[in-house]
Amino acid sequence: MSIFGSTASANTNPNKSTEVQQPPADSVTSLCFSPKANLLVATSWDNQVRCWEVMGSGTNIGTVPKAAISHEQPVLCSAWKDDGTTVFSGGCDKQVKMWPLSGSQPVTIAMHDAPVRELAWIPEMNLLVTGSWDKTLRYWDLRQQNPVHIQQLPERCYALTVKHPLMVAGTADKNLIVFNLQNPQTEFKRIPSPLKYQTRCLAAFPDQQGFLVGSIEGRVGVHHLDDSLQGKNFTFKCHREGNDIYSVNSLNFHPTHGTFATAGSDGAFNFWDKDSKQRLKAMSRCSQPIPCSAFNNDGSIYAYAVCYDWSKGAENHNPSTAKTYIYLHFPQESDVKGKPRIGGSSSRK
Amino acid sequence: MPPRKELCRNFMRGSCQYGERCKFLHAAQQQPKQNPFGFGSQSSNFQSTNVQQTKSNPFGFGVQNNSQPRGFNDFGPKQNQYKPFENKWTRSASTNSSSSRQPDNQPVAPNHTCTDPESCRRQIVEDFNNEKPLWLLTCYGHRKNGPCDITGDVSYEELRAAAYDDAKRGQSLTYIVERERSMVNSKVAEFENLLRNPYASPSTSAPNAQSPFSGATPSASSNAQSPFPGATPNASFSGQSNFPPSASSFSQLGAILNTGASTPPSAFGQPSPLGNSFKTSNSSAANPFSFGNPSAAGSLGFGTQVATQSSQNPFALSNTVGSSGRNPFSTSTTSPHFPNPSGGQLPSVTASPLSINLTSATSTPDFSGDNSIWTKEWKIGEIPEEAPPDRYVY
Repeated sequence: MSIFGSTASANTNPNKSTEVQQPPADSVTSLCFSPKANLLVATSWDNQVRCWEVMGSGTNIGTVPKAAISHEQPVLCSAWKDDGTTVFSGGCDKQVKMWPLSGSQPVTIAMHDAPVRELAWIPEMNLLVTGSWDKTLRYWDLRQQNPVHIQQLPERCYALTVKHPLMVAGTADKNLIVFNLQNPQTEFKRIPSPLKYQTRCLAAFPDQQGFLVGSIEGRVGVHHLDDSLQGKNFTFKCHREGNDIYSVNSLNFHPTHGTFATAGSDGAFNFWDKDSKQRLKAMSRCSQPIPCSAFNNDGSIYAYAVCYDWSKGAENHNPSTAKTYIYLHFPQESDVKGKPRIGGSSSRK
Repeated sequence: MPPRKELCRNFMRGSCQYGERCKFLHAAQQQPKQNPFGFGSQSSNFQSTNVQQTKSNPFGFGVQNNSQPRGFNDFGPKQNQYKPFENKWTRSASTNSSSSRQPDNQPVAPNHTCTDPESCRRQIVEDFNNEKPLWLLTCYGHRKNGPCDITGDVSYEELRAAAYDDAKRGQSLTYIVERERSMVNSKVAEFENLLRNPYASPSTSAPNAQSPFSGATPSASSNAQSPFPGATPNASFSGQSNFPPSASSFSQLGAILNTGASTPPSAFGQPSPLGNSFKTSNSSAANPFSFGNPSAAGSLGFGTQVATQSSQNPFALSNTVGSSGRNPFSTSTTSPHFPNPSGGQLPSVTASPLSINLTSATSTPDFSGDNSIWTKEWKIGEIPEEAPPDRYVY
């Protein structure tokens, strides 16, 4: 395995991605871009929620730290409201804070009985949905203190994806539960995971026909909801190096092209086209795992964090030398645009 | 000849091995079933480039690149011959191949059905040999689309949260590492048991109920190999220069920490290793002890961290909760401290079996949820008064 740079202070990113200034002091748990602007929010194990603005263009791109708030404990998830004014963040303090960036104080708007692992804003319903290790999903109307609805899950929530009216929650022990948000109080379907090991991440297709599921076994499953499309389901292997099988930590669809990116504990990220079943681009491995990533609203920026994700336990965490980076990658059109399928042979282009 | 009117279930799952010869009907479901969700009824604007858009599809589905519903026919050369799982997308030799699609003709095992224990066992053996992930605290099901054979998932974040909680409470890194190690050992033992008895309940009634180490297989307990086998390429995650290069085993690390930070207070107060590490870390902008180190060395770290950053605190807080540029933990009283391994190699430490901390799965194949208390990741202060019943302890 190659080592791309060590503790040098120069940008050692093998993909020449732009480094975000003043990254968090500890590993990043989630990244998300504003739907309206190039504002990036990152949550971290250092209890902070930070916001940067990405400015400039072409070769002159820079990031400017804008603001930050604190939680009492590590923050695990974040989401923007659809109007780009407010950021929600939740974490180990079992709360979700709503942070209107215009300078007001963050307010706690949601509570769980255990750390909040995932959250998502549903503009069509004007509700926030939160998933927690207390085995519930809760829906919150921001004006009320109590949840609008509490949905029991069979196990702790590990992953959540929302594309109205499709919502899929992945829990421990490989449960995948599909919800129709037009009828959120009942499970629409419980799907046995096409993968064999722990679910790590989910992403709903932009056209809501199905979803992707990634696991710790270096595999992604493509699953369609409709029974007649079951023939199109498949899984594929990725993020493997020799005999080492890394987990897929993040799945993100490109906002316009319908292609998607995977990022894994091997420190690499790839772009794929599920319809033609191709990998569009394989990027070079970074020296640390990539725990999370995100596209911006038009797909011109792909942000990813490079920092330890605990995939090798506490023994491999060295707080004095651990470094956290957030990089911005500007994908070429050819990297993220779907390609027509090659005719049936296995020849490479 | 017309098959029986029933639809072939395997075909719908994409894995019918009979193909044309199949007795059942191979067709997409024809009934004008309303799109169960109304998904895609607003035509999505993302369509992939090679799609002909059929907007007013009554099902409301955006048809993907194949106009036929049984799309998977198109990608395999033969109908139904290649299972959809087969497309491997494995990395080809060059890292920059832009379209490394490989419909590898390696036959993938067809969808496994539990017809006999032998085939199950074969499947499990194959999985453990070829598909064993680096993260071991996981559930496992040998059947795709099937239930779990082994439950008791622990995710990265849960483990990390528990470790941070422990550190906050003043536990040493040794303790944390040992706790994690015992979890891994018991999980490994579960997997081994499954291998031996694919149809029996995952956990055995091991007579050595107390110690996780004696219950675990020798390979798990006594060798120098880390239960996180990937730890040897620890070097590949560079940046841990303080780490002893071969600290790939829990036991070694535990020993290091034992001498370096035997008790939490001493870990806090230790001047030299911490001091050194702070010095090296000062040059980098990262705050090494992100949890807020209450000791003098810790505040030094914070102070200098601010200094080495750009002069103005860019993270102008919109509120007064803590001054984020400085101590993110201004509100926390007992700041967790992750003891820093001071380096050097030492003989292995004997671990104290944390028998109450085991996460063995339940013995019931139903994987009922009530037993989860013994399999879940621990929260702050959650130490049970009594030891778990024997069947949860290895």
